[in-house]
Amino acid sequence: MKDLKTVMSFTIKDMIKRKSFVISTILILVLIVIGFNIPNIIKAVKGEDQGDKLLVIDRQNEFEGTLENLKQMNLGYDIEIASENYTDEQIKEKIDEEEIKSALIIEPENQTIKVRYLLKNTTMMEQVPETLQRSIQSLYTNLQIGKLGLTQEQLQSLTPNFNFSLEQTEEQKASGNVFAMMILSLVLFYAIYFCAYQVSSSITTEKTSKIMETLVTSTSPRTIVLGKTIGIGIVGLIQMILIVATALISAKLFLEPGMIESLLDMSNVTPYLGIITIVYFILGYFAYALLYALTGSTVSKPEDIQSANTPVALLAVVGFYLSYFTMMNPTSELNGFASLFPISSPFCMPFRIMMGLASTTDVMISIAILVVTILIIARVAIKIYSNAILNYGSKMNLRDLIKMARDKNA
Amino acid sequence: MGLILKEVKKNYGEKKAVDNITFSLDKPGVFGLLGTNGAGKTTTIRMLLGILKKDGGEITWNGQTVERKHVNFGYLPEERGVYPKVKIYDQLMYFAELKGMKKQEADRAIHEWAKVLKVEEYLPMNAEKLSKGNGQKIQFMTAVIHNPELIVLDEPFSGLDPVNTEILKNVIIDLVSKGKYIIMSAHQMATIEEFCTNILILNQGKTVLQGNLKEIKDTYPANRAEIDVEQDIRSSIQKYDLTIENEVNHHYTIKIEEEEKVHQLLRDLVENKIKVNQFEIKKPTLNDIFIEKVERGVK
Repeated sequence: MKDLKTVMSFTIKDMIKRKSFVISTILILVLIVIGFNIPNIIKAVKGEDQGDKLLVIDRQNEFEGTLENLKQMNLGYDIEIASENYTDEQIKEKIDEEEIKSALIIEPENQTIKVRYLLKNTTMMEQVPETLQRSIQSLYTNLQIGKLGLTQEQLQSLTPNFNFSLEQTEEQKASGNVFAMMILSLVLFYAIYFCAYQVSSSITTEKTSKIMETLVTSTSPRTIVLGKTIGIGIVGLIQMILIVATALISAKLFLEPGMIESLLDMSNVTPYLGIITIVYFILGYFAYALLYALTGSTVSKPEDIQSANTPVALLAVVGFYLSYFTMMNPTSELNGFASLFPISSPFCMPFRIMMGLASTTDVMISIAILVVTILIIARVAIKIYSNAILNYGSKMNLRDLIKMARDKNA
Repeated sequence: MGLILKEVKKNYGEKKAVDNITFSLDKPGVFGLLGTNGAGKTTTIRMLLGILKKDGGEITWNGQTVERKHVNFGYLPEERGVYPKVKIYDQLMYFAELKGMKKQEADRAIHEWAKVLKVEEYLPMNAEKLSKGNGQKIQFMTAVIHNPELIVLDEPFSGLDPVNTEILKNVIIDLVSKGKYIIMSAHQMATIEEFCTNILILNQGKTVLQGNLKEIKDTYPANRAEIDVEQDIRSSIQKYDLTIENEVNHHYTIKIEEEEKVHQLLRDLVENKIKVNQFEIKKPTLNDIFIEKVERGVK
């Protein structure tokens, strides 16, 4: 136990003293702070955002002066109603000189009213913005209805307030923003994958720098593997907490209130989800870190590390995509399977919990399967590690590894 | 008491890496474990350190079966290694703690050993900045820092300059005087002859020779004569049917088959009033014995 603590604290010290680790962590944190400040930066550069300037020209006064009402409709534009009848050339000039962003020209044509929307480049647009279309139409309808001298009831019956809602017949119901959950899944994947990869790289360093023989005469291989795995895991967890905390504090400090809530459904972000996410991070990390310990120990030369680690990387990618793609249809059986399958469950289950799809029993079963898998991987990894670390010959193949795993003497 | 290896075996698949070897160290001193590359020395060392399971036989230290958790051994492996990006002091402290030392005790030992091995100034440095020889001294420190009773040194002098070799030799002599058991493996036979009372020569996993070095050498008849004179004596040597193995500035190394012939040569030289500066009949060196034993094994 004392040795385990010694290996752990040595690993932690070694990790946090590495320049690459310090620089990358600081860089991530700075990027997060900058990211949350982007709206403020844009505001500072462009001045207070009042929306893009839109010039409205009613050539024949079809709207009889009621266009001023557009300004009260919160359409996201800084609207100016033209006081004079600009020609198309004059309008184009204004747009080119960026005096205005766009213009809406209203003029009668035969029996219809033609509304042209002018802007510099239409590549990103398929049609005139729907909000503008609707507002113009309703403004004109109201103008004409007002002329009919209808009673209040008649007016109401003509403009009913429809309340559209979307409902499903299936009993299991997913709630929450799939986009936000995907981010959670992606963050979990990268956190688990990169932390676990460190274990492999740390073991290979020990092997290629020939320190291994001194190390295994000082303590048992089991202590080395577990101490190293736990040590790097603690550093990874602290790094993840640091990132999440920086993100939360930045959101609170730099974003306008309500901005996050308008993008994500925060009602699903509960302490329970936080704990479960940390539990799955730890378990997922252990599963992949121990696999990486296994592959790392089979390598004698630094140039072989990539190829030795490929199978684990593939497994992680398959696990991740299995959960990622089934998220598009979270109530599907495949997504349920992904939340139980040990290579994908760490990336999938927190998502299902956030979507309100996983019962406590599901979570317990998923964790139990993952823990059993970790114990099996740990047993095999420590056995192979014990045998492989003293092998400085050619790269080992699968047959050698199976033989080592079966070796009762190791 | 001491270390006993009895009929120890290890196979790698079909290959017998170590085949029934038996030896013991019953009192403090240096034991020489010799062999060509791949003879089974490292495998034997790993088994006696408890980091490799044996396939048969018995290894005991002070009557107790050797297992990693029971033994307090020190080991300088042939493959030298240090953590390149970790401060020397930190890695010495790491290994000392793993070997059960308390921080204060380890700190004292690190500074004491650094002083003896003249590496004090390197303690705050990262290991990647060290020269090969200094790196080796640091690794030697990891082997002895915890004051082990049995120390295994695999090629301790390779890569050291003459000054550092002398420092390390004195340290080894000092360790023996303090009652330590040392197993030394080396390719330089002169080093082994200097330190070891008992030796074992391995070839292809088998013991080809073992015992007290002096006794072994006594069983071999003299095989060379060294004669240092001031003039050319080739004709005299040829007269007695002797073979010149080497000649530098009238210093002759002559192969002996019958010792009497060399005595006749000496008499001849004296009678002819040739000034003889040195005349020595020599027993075979350990190097000669080693090559003879290994070559015979190959044949």
